[in-house]
Amino acid sequence: MSEIEFEIDGKLVTANQGDSIISIADREGIDVPRFCYHKKLSVAANCRMCLVDVEGVPKAQPACSTPVASGMKIHTRNDKAKSAQKAVMEFLLINHPLDCPICDQGGECELQDVAMEYGTDVSKFNLGKRIVADKGIGALIQTDMTRCIHCTRCVRFGAEVAGIVEMGGTGRGEGVKIEPFLTEGIQSELSGNMIDVCPVGALTSKPFRYEARTWQMNAVETIARHDLVGSNIYTQTYRGRVKRVVARDNELVNETWISDRDRFSYEGLNHESRALHPKIKKNNKWQETSWEVALDFAISGLKKNTQNADQLGVLASKNSTLEEYYLMQKLARGFGSDNIDYRLDKADLSIGNTMLSNITLAEMESTDHALIVNSYLRLEQPMINHRIRKATLNGASVNTINNKKFDFNYQTDLEILSSPQKTLLMLQSILKSLHERTKTTVPKYLSKLTVDDSQNKIADDLIAAERPVIILGEHVNSNISSSDIASIISEIAALANAKIANLSLNGNSLSAEKVGFKPSNNGKNAISMFTENTKAFLLMDVDFNYDFIDSKLAADTFNNDDVFVISLNSFEDEITLMNSDVILPLAGFYESSGTHINFDGVAQSFSASVKGPGDSKPGWKIIKVLADILELNGFEYTDSTQVADDALSMSSANNNDLVENNIKETDDSKVAVHWQYSPYAIDGITRKAKALQETPIGKMNDAFISLATAKELKLSEGDLYHGVPVSINETVAEGCVFVHTYQSRKG
Amino acid sequence: MISDQAKKEIDFWVTKYPEGRQSSAVMQALTIVQNENGGSLTGELIQEVADHLQMPTISVQEVATFYENYNHKPVGKHIIRFCHNISCMLNGSDELISYLEEKLEVKTGEVSKDGLVSVKKVECLGACVGGPMCQIGDQYHEHLTPSKLDNILDNLK
Repeated sequence: MSEIEFEIDGKLVTANQGDSIISIADREGIDVPRFCYHKKLSVAANCRMCLVDVEGVPKAQPACSTPVASGMKIHTRNDKAKSAQKAVMEFLLINHPLDCPICDQGGECELQDVAMEYGTDVSKFNLGKRIVADKGIGALIQTDMTRCIHCTRCVRFGAEVAGIVEMGGTGRGEGVKIEPFLTEGIQSELSGNMIDVCPVGALTSKPFRYEARTWQMNAVETIARHDLVGSNIYTQTYRGRVKRVVARDNELVNETWISDRDRFSYEGLNHESRALHPKIKKNNKWQETSWEVALDFAISGLKKNTQNADQLGVLASKNSTLEEYYLMQKLARGFGSDNIDYRLDKADLSIGNTMLSNITLAEMESTDHALIVNSYLRLEQPMINHRIRKATLNGASVNTINNKKFDFNYQTDLEILSSPQKTLLMLQSILKSLHERTKTTVPKYLSKLTVDDSQNKIADDLIAAERPVIILGEHVNSNISSSDIASIISEIAALANAKIANLSLNGNSLSAEKVGFKPSNNGKNAISMFTENTKAFLLMDVDFNYDFIDSKLAADTFNNDDVFVISLNSFEDEITLMNSDVILPLAGFYESSGTHINFDGVAQSFSASVKGPGDSKPGWKIIKVLADILELNGFEYTDSTQVADDALSMSSANNNDLVENNIKETDDSKVAVHWQYSPYAIDGITRKAKALQETPIGKMNDAFISLATAKELKLSEGDLYHGVPVSINETVAEGCVFVHTYQSRKG
Repeated sequence: MISDQAKKEIDFWVTKYPEGRQSSAVMQALTIVQNENGGSLTGELIQEVADHLQMPTISVQEVATFYENYNHKPVGKHIIRFCHNISCMLNGSDELISYLEEKLEVKTGEVSKDGLVSVKKVECLGACVGGPMCQIGDQYHEHLTPSKLDNILDNLK
């Protein structure tokens, strides 16, 4: 693009042909007032606030929709520009209620700020103002549409970013209203961003309503660690509590957006079941106690129950911090046990699927073809899905291989249904097709496989693409062949010259992998610990109901009287009390400093936003003290950053052995079950975030079965399948029950 | 429910636009559906039009609420669309509308008790030279006076 030269407020600047005046003004630090313009959205030019004077043009021009031209002389604050801006401001305020004192947006309101500078103190308008009745749009967003100035940022956000057109401008003229068609709740998983883009108080955070004024709060830069992205956020705190979470710009990670999960999960921190004080169980009775007593009780119980060190099992959820993983494995290994694991929800732990991703988040959006395997990407990794959506807007195609058809917010090309037990075979057929197409030798074990048209198309699309990516999602975790699937995908990627995005390592799994938080030699893994004589457990942030792939097996072990369980947990619900012998209250998300390693392999550290409630302590401190009492060496830390330094300097112990490939006989006659949590039930804190649970996504509760499979299982529509209502549906693969629910895994 | 016949008619209009631009037929679709439903639209019908044209429902709602020719409440057999823009207003449209309201015992936007007539204020119909004027069905009635209106109403069945 050619560079052009022009003048803005007397300053000679250069820009590319086609740049808008406002983008250059922003670059040059010149403040042009605006409401409808947003750097990430299309230009609407309907608020008219950004009018500026362009020499030679009789009327003031909107800076957002006027492209710069060579030799242009622009004035953003001469009399003509100022009077145009003031006139627009007066119009915008005609119907605005000016209820700033009771408005949550007050203090951070673009309208308020601009009105301070461009508004007059007395309005000439003395007629009645219009009032818009609120319909309500769900549990997350509070609407006060009388305050709306019809900038349509939320409408454009829905159409352009969220990919679900939900808000719209109905009516005409003075009767225009911004509203959704349905009132039962906004469906998008990114809906909270509408709050951020709204320049006035029309859309505000519902859980935050009337909680605090913005100027009373402290903003702390931190990281959301529910998913692989590690979105950059601010927690806004007031009197030691997190009151709100808002997005923080980071072009490489989350751009300007965050998912609703990251935005509203903080509510879980204030749940009534928070563990506030150390507790010990003596003679089957719980008693609150001091940290000293609880720690001594924990260590003596641990020592008493483990004749040899090998009888200790150490488990953590996939959302712990790098520091916690590091210290816990150090404690376990110092104690003499290699029974360490975080892969609680994986069915195949043989070597584990640790296939590494070799594409970055930013590169995702320039891909031209994506093959999505085993993922409902939109709900599981909203920000990664957003990158893929951007790629599709630039012409990328998407194929999927899933247990069920899902509702993506972009066009998918070919959607192949494949039950879990047939997925490996499906991928092997695709591999064979690729071998045939690239004229490479078909390995012997594939020779007998047949390849059908759709598999050929998948192979063709991968070969035809210049920058393809294969995405492996978290549904693979419940597959007993997940290591094999990962290794076949590696081979497919190598042949098709495709990048790999392994999203089955969710949460902060990459931190766990980094410090080797899994058995390295002959240690027991998250399944064999329950079958092979483990007498004491040290658990970090583990939810007994939800986290284990086989909760019954786990419960049987934990409930056993001669098994001693130390729970470091933020919550003490019934099941935790039943299964534990000591509860050490754990500071939760945003209450502890730590590090998250994201999809790009970037370690993002954060400090604590608030102190944990009651006596709760950060996990790394608790483990350090436990190690001190055990008199282990190497725990002389005074700060979590020292722990992070040590953890990050570990050489990555990634034993990425390829599995020997062969055709496995899978038992097709059995019906496979995939139990997928709703995105708002994936970890302890989201499950306890009330507003999220009240959204359409949070209320997901269906066991999808095809008619044939339902007949086989003797189920009909509306029956309960392990507590989840059956929905007979032909969008799910034969021989598979796809349970999508907020309820805990049963059976 | 949109009948198969109406769907066929909508599909005829869809063919007038390039492939993939079926949403361009939304106004014709709404008109067809409204006529079939006795002159007004409902939320369900808007939803069905959206599904049929593969559009977001709110986008159909935007169109349906923008234009005066779509009704969102039941209407009478005949709709008197009375212009109340500047030329007609200067020539006494307001008085004539009040006259109509009194005579029919309806307010604008409502249906007469016998379900025969409803009155609607509309924007300029492009017949300023004949103001005050109104449109009933496809017919324009111009240079209106109370007696002319009486006459017109007597002939409505």
